[in-house]
Amino acid sequence: MTQKYDAIVIGAGLGGLSAATMLARNGLSVLLLERHNVPGGYATSFVRGRYEFEVALHELSGIGPPERRGSLYRYLEYLGVADKVEFLHVPNLYRAVFPDLDVTLPSGREAFEAKLCETFPHEARGIRRFVKRVFDLRKDFIKTSKQGGAGSPATMPFRLPHFFRYLPVTWGHVLNRDIKDPLARAVLSQYWGYVGMPPSQISFFYFATTLAAYVWRGAAFPQGRSQALSNAFLATFEELGGEARMSCGVERITTANGRVTGVVTEEGEEIGADWVISNADPITTCRELIGDDEVPPRFFTRLQSSEIGPSTVNVYLGVARSPEELGFTEHEIFLNEDYDFDRHYEMMRTVDVASPPAVAVTCYNVVYPGISPPGTSIVVLTALMYGEPWCEVPPAEYVATKNRIADGMIRMAERIAPGLRERAEVVEVSTPVTNMRYAGTLGGSIYGFNQPPRDNMVWRMGNRGPLEGLYFVGAWTQPGGGYEPAMMSGQMAGGAIVRNVKRETSNVKRET
Amino acid sequence: MALEIVNWLQDVREHLRVSRRRESLRQPGQGFDYTEKKYQNVVRLVVSAIHPQRMRLRVVEIIQETPTTKTFRCQRSDGPLPPFRPGQYVNLFVDVDGVLTSRPYSIASAPGSETLELTVRDNPGGFVAPYLLHEIKVGDELETTGPQGQFYHEPLIDGDDLVFLAGGSGITPLMSIIRDALQPEHCEQAVLDRATPKIHLLYGSRVPEDVIYGAELAALAAGHANFRYAPVISEPPPGYKGRSGFLGADLIREQIGDAAGKTFYICGPQAMYDFCLATLRKLGVPSHKIRRELYGPPADVTQEPGWPEGLAADTLFEVEVVGQKTVRAPAGEPLLNTLERYGIVVPAVCRSGACSACRARLLSGRVFQPADTGLRESDREHGYVHACVSYPLEDLRIRL
Repeated sequence: MTQKYDAIVIGAGLGGLSAATMLARNGLSVLLLERHNVPGGYATSFVRGRYEFEVALHELSGIGPPERRGSLYRYLEYLGVADKVEFLHVPNLYRAVFPDLDVTLPSGREAFEAKLCETFPHEARGIRRFVKRVFDLRKDFIKTSKQGGAGSPATMPFRLPHFFRYLPVTWGHVLNRDIKDPLARAVLSQYWGYVGMPPSQISFFYFATTLAAYVWRGAAFPQGRSQALSNAFLATFEELGGEARMSCGVERITTANGRVTGVVTEEGEEIGADWVISNADPITTCRELIGDDEVPPRFFTRLQSSEIGPSTVNVYLGVARSPEELGFTEHEIFLNEDYDFDRHYEMMRTVDVASPPAVAVTCYNVVYPGISPPGTSIVVLTALMYGEPWCEVPPAEYVATKNRIADGMIRMAERIAPGLRERAEVVEVSTPVTNMRYAGTLGGSIYGFNQPPRDNMVWRMGNRGPLEGLYFVGAWTQPGGGYEPAMMSGQMAGGAIVRNVKRETSNVKRET
Repeated sequence: MALEIVNWLQDVREHLRVSRRRESLRQPGQGFDYTEKKYQNVVRLVVSAIHPQRMRLRVVEIIQETPTTKTFRCQRSDGPLPPFRPGQYVNLFVDVDGVLTSRPYSIASAPGSETLELTVRDNPGGFVAPYLLHEIKVGDELETTGPQGQFYHEPLIDGDDLVFLAGGSGITPLMSIIRDALQPEHCEQAVLDRATPKIHLLYGSRVPEDVIYGAELAALAAGHANFRYAPVISEPPPGYKGRSGFLGADLIREQIGDAAGKTFYICGPQAMYDFCLATLRKLGVPSHKIRRELYGPPADVTQEPGWPEGLAADTLFEVEVVGQKTVRAPAGEPLLNTLERYGIVVPAVCRSGACSACRARLLSGRVFQPADTGLRESDREHGYVHACVSYPLEDLRIRL
């Protein structure tokens, strides 16, 4: 064994970067290993011709405008990352387009509610009641994060009534009781693409806390794209004395007596550590890096209720036309063929579609004018799709399949942005296979495991792994999928290790 | 109020139902069994079938195309050939006199064929091409990356009226597109229900003997109404009857007529790019209708705009590669090539500044990078460079 660190972090996605920086900030010696040559995982960018594309980020929650920063921003400040990134404010949450409605919702609770009531005056009472539920839950949720947990389950119904009440129900269950107009329901549920499951299946708890986070402080986008965030994390980590190696994959996690002892790199180097934090998905970590025999079977039994969540198809367009000429006035637009989200969700499980029935259209230039040269635009079309059907596409049909679906997505986007195809200078299409290729993630999943009520935040797999000293970070674990949650997972896992180390140190002191 | 209490009770009752559902999924034989074989190694298997990182190619035939050009027809020996876009390249790894280096070569064959063809032209004073042409024999194995690159016909946006401007060995990626497009069941168009593209190839060579695939191109043009072929010779021998000169505005206009609605593809030496881009601009072709292949580092970086005045190409600087060694690097050579000459292995793919495989951190010192280097905005701010198109302007410390 060549060297020993306090902790080794496998994978420099946002979860891994956050955990590594959190640990280094607290004085631990940390080695960060990343297989790819660029840090960030999905939080990265790529260049084609004169365009640099954001890979994954649409809207970042938890930042807030300068006068009222959110919890993610304060965490970045604590680490020393915040002053290395400029955040741009996204004024409106989204524009929702249906065959019979086209509406843009602003951020800020009052403005959001007012716009909904104005659009659906016959549902005003229900809308107010529903929005109140969302924010009541947010209050309870914030209480739990301030206390560091939900506390005793026995007294929870009294201390955290909303938290308790909404844990086992779906978004649709609550929404449909308050609001009858299916179009109003659909408009309020547009962020379902940000949580991976439709209203009838997604946990109310998860959707409501996500929506509330965006409504409350608005969304942000980092200047320099999400690569700037990843680079800032890595720079901070190194300033704090952390050691990072890019292009260095991990072959195996070593164990002894049910405890992790370090890793072996793909080049065969053995490196020791007391803690191993994996940013790889938990199944790959346990099966490929540790080995089935070493992992207690109950770990897999527990995961039987957890389903691998969806991936994405993205069409990245560099267009030789300004956003004004293309008719873009909003950063994020959701295009819907209709408002049958259950059908949309079913169609995510097959590649035999002419076009996905719903596409998110993001024109980054609206809030970030300098993202591409003057007179041009960067437009990204996103559709959620499961990875599994893509794994079954014969390699010889892969290009044809992705182009057929991308073609349908462009056709759909042209309804609101005529000339998009004609003026396109660069196009690149990513699929779940692309996600697997660059992030190594099962199913190319973007949010980790799905979050129906049975598997939502509280019951989601924790950051502690099945072996002593092993922790998980990233979308698959607590608190969940998305940029802000991925970074928070690093804070949670890192924080748990720091507390452990402090406890041990104080025990040692007491003994001596 | 009473209704809200009923709702409340209803919601709380869900705790039981959901817990039961969770528990039932965790019974043997229920739910998602992640210990199944289908979850083992699945990512690696799926990805490597479509995007293999490395391929071993056995040379099964060598075709002498011209006095200075050979085509290496290869079979993959470590798996089936992956899908690729006609026009893409592979980066070929070689060991020339102990120097481990690599060069990108376009695939000339069409997707779906049994063999993969790489056409290599001799390049006087070159390092890798002479080695390949003189040393590689039938039966040898070559190691390459999987297919890479973005220079291909993209039916999503490129339309179906295409003009190819090729120079010298720049014909190779276009040959793959032509061969694919003229097959009855070609891979690119059929899926989108579009018409088979119309292709007009203007192919510039120095002398008639230099024309690669000449006979095949002439035969394809004779057999396909949607393909027109115009060879152009820049240094015609006495008595040459064909078209001669450069791919200038008059020639292009005469050949293709109106440029509107057409998409142009340029592939050839750097001087030809500069010439053709100016020509197309003159013809009013908008930049979004021009596709161009990468052409490696500049032939002479001291001629690039922004190069510091008076700095000679052979000025030597010390470059410390942290954790490895310190080398003496000439200002006029890409850092990547210098490091390879000193036996330092640097991951590299496109060797043209675009793909970021050779991204390295500049810890101190300054480098020159051409303006069109495909560097990420935040990488620039954090001091990263692409070693394949970085030239030292003073002593450097870098980390790979």
